[in-house]
Parts: sequence; structure tokens; C-alpha cells
Amino acid sequence: MLELINIHKSFNNNEVLKGVNIKVKKGDVIVILGPSGSGKTTLLRCINFLERADKGEIIFDDLHVNVRTASAADISKIRKKTAFVFQSFNLFNNKTALENVTEGLIVARKVPKAEATEIAKKALSKVGLSDRENYYPSKLSGGQQQRVAISRAIAVNPDVILFDEPTSALDPELTGEVLSVMKQLAREGVTMVVVTHEMSFAREVANHIVFMADGVVVEEGPPDEIFTNPREERTKQFLSRILPPVDDYVI
Amino acid sequence: MELDIKFMIDTFFLALTGVPVTLSITAAALLISAPVAFFMAISKIYNIKILKQIITAYVSFIRGTPVVLQILIIYSLLPSLFNTIIRSAGWNINVFDINPIIYAYIVFSINTSASLSEIFRSALLTVNKGQLEAALSIGMSPVQAYTRIIIPQALVSAIPNICNLTINLVKGTSLAFMMTVKEVTAIAKIAASYGYNYIEAYLDILIVYIILCSLIQLLFSMLEKHFGSYRKLTGAAQKTV
Repeated sequence: MLELINIHKSFNNNEVLKGVNIKVKKGDVIVILGPSGSGKTTLLRCINFLERADKGEIIFDDLHVNVRTASAADISKIRKKTAFVFQSFNLFNNKTALENVTEGLIVARKVPKAEATEIAKKALSKVGLSDRENYYPSKLSGGQQQRVAISRAIAVNPDVILFDEPTSALDPELTGEVLSVMKQLAREGVTMVVVTHEMSFAREVANHIVFMADGVVVEEGPPDEIFTNPREERTKQFLSRILPPVDDYVI
Repeated sequence: MELDIKFMIDTFFLALTGVPVTLSITAAALLISAPVAFFMAISKIYNIKILKQIITAYVSFIRGTPVVLQILIIYSLLPSLFNTIIRSAGWNINVFDINPIIYAYIVFSINTSASLSEIFRSALLTVNKGQLEAALSIGMSPVQAYTRIIIPQALVSAIPNICNLTINLVKGTSLAFMMTVKEVTAIAKIAASYGYNYIEAYLDILIVYIILCSLIQLLFSMLEKHFGSYRKLTGAAQKTV
């Protein structure tokens, strides 16, 4: 469904992505792990052109774009098939929770107001926030804001939802709130690409792990493989705190 | 020192008749310069090559010269300039019949657009970049993102600055009397010149401007409360849970 081929991206003279390939199938829950600065967030933002990659191709169903020559129309098409959940929530501060969710439907997709409101109410009840529909973001807690952000993403029914460290700004309780919503979405078959440090989420919910470091994909595979027996040394080093201890046989 | 109270009261109401003129110059300046200033702010933020340099030079020049001087130059230059243009175009209009208030509109629009562009620019920069990213990610076009999300938030944070600008503009229009525009200051001064009651006239002018500016401050404070209601209150205003 979605494929990124040979993506390169530099900021000034700093090459952050050095040729990354990613394949996403419908229903996948892909978790991208890696140390800070490895390019995970940049890769995610290249998918919906929040950053424009320097080189490479993006294939999205029947849409085939070269990132350098992608037109505004192509970018708009891609953005209408994806949704992004940010680490800092980025809810529209001057709109209520309900309006935040209907905005993308009414303005970007020309859905009539009544229908959009209904979809929005359903999305908000899915994340458990029906009683907060008319609250402004400034009156919501971090976990509530992120859940509104998630319902904003699911309301537009995208082909894939991109999550950029969705729980990094939240305390453990609020993190739990948000993760359980994401687990529910995964169970329902929503395609997700998640950059996160939440290892337990990656283990339980992902069906494919991609480990990145220094701008390249070091290793990828199913969670049981990566988390119990990674092949690469860099992966072992990163996961050292959670891998099962290697027995030390000394004679 | 005796104050002619009767004169003061009469002149006060006479000066009030100049308030519509003052307000019309203020309103015209704000309305004309708003879109121009916004365009200039966006050009600077998005770093549009040649435009940015021209705008920076323009703003710097306008802000660096006294309004008094701008008025004198425009009032000396423009009528003759218009005359030449109209003569060569063959129209039969007498330039010197033009209501001098037009020149006031021009001068104050030019002046306001420079300051207002910087106010808009700083206001737009206060809005978190993430707001724009979220709007784009959800499929909105840049124009939609700006008009529905960014600008409303930017304007609310610009209200105190715009209030400042408006008050200064209202006070600045008192200089329009140099162009023979019959606004508050001009009317009061003319009335004073009959009997040399200058001090009374000056006090009247002061009172009129204080009332006018206080009303403007009140208006903006109400605007800020209404449009900024979505914001989080900080400090003492927050109720403790």
C-alpha cells in the first residue's frame, strides 16, 4: 500500500536519512525504534511531506511520486490519505475538541456539517471523550489532548495513521490511556506507523519492527525476533536493557 | 489664572464635531493598511527574495522619519504631482479642490502600514509552528490553514499591540490640521484664535482625546476578552483545583 524507496534527507550539511526503504501493507502496525537523532521522526515527516526529502520515491497505492518533483496536488493527495499524531499534540487552540475533529472533514474534505459532526462525535466517543466535546484544548489534560488528536486522525478515515512519539510528553498514567486507544485501533485493523520508545507497546501490538540508527535501517523483523534475538550489534546495544540476559558460561 | 469656563464648554462641544473626522482618518488608515501590512508580513516571514528587501527598506524608512515630516512632504509634493498627472492625462479636474482629508488618508495609511506590518509579523511568529503542521497534515491547504487557524490565533495575541497602534494613530491625526483638515485640534485652535483663549482650547482638546482613547482601550479590552476566551489563563487568574 505504501512504500518509501531510497529516501535521503539532509538538513544544511547534516545527512539525517541516508537511503531508507520502508514497506507498509494494509493492516500493518509498524513500530520504528532507534536512538535519538537516528532519523525516525524525519522519516515519518517525509511521508506526508512535512519535510520534503531530497531524493527518493514514494509509492502510495496508485500514486507514484518522486520526492523532488512532487507537485502540490500530489502532496495534497497523500495528505488526504494519511493522518499525523504529533508528540506535542498540536490541537487547534482556537477550536473546541469537537471542532478540532470536524475541521479536517468540513474544510479539507468538504463533508457537510451535520455528517461531519456525527462522525466527529463517534470518533470522540471511541477515545472516551464524549463528555469533553465542547472543551478548548487549554482546558484538557495532556492525555485528553492526545486522545482528541487521535480521534482527529481517525475521523478522516485515512489509509495510514502516522504517530510521532505520541506518548513521550505524557506521564505513565496518561501514557496508558493513550496506548490503550492505540491498541484498540490496532485490533480493529487500522494501519499505523508508530515512532515510539514504548517497548511494551512495540512488543504487544506491532507486527513489524524497524530499528534505525544513524540514518539507515539497521534491522527489521517481527517483534519476537527483534526483541529476543536481534542479529545486529547496534540493535543489541540499543535494546540491551530489555533483552533477556545472556547467560555467561564460564568454565 | 482665569479660565473662561463658558468658552471651555462651548469649545468642547465644538471640538466634538471634529471627532468623526478624526475617527474617519483612523479607520481609513487601519482598513487600507491592514491587507497591505499583512502581505508585507507574510513576504518577510516566507523570505520572498526581492520583495523582502524592498519591504524592509520601506518599513525602516517610514518608521525612521517623523510623521510631521511625512505630512509636510506629502502635502507639498502630492498636489503638484497629481496636477502634472491630470494635466498630461487631459482630465479637467481642479486638483486644488480635492478635499485635503484625502491627503490625510494617504499619509496615515502609509505610516500605519509600516508599523502594522511589524505587528502582524511578530503576531504570526508567536503561533506555534505545530499548528500549521497539524492543519496541513489533516489535508487543509495553506490558505485554509492560515485563515482558519493561524491568523485568528495571531490576531488575538496582537490585540494589545494593535490597541497601542490605534491610540497613537488617533493622537497622530491631530497633526492633520497642518493639511487644513478640520479635525479636533484644528477646530479648537481656530475657535481659540478669536479671543486668544488658547489654554482653554488646549485643555478641551486634551479632554476630548482622553475620552476617545479611553473608549478605544475599553473596546480593545473587550475584544481581547471575547476572542481570547479559548486561551489558558495564567497566574492569579487561574482557579486552584
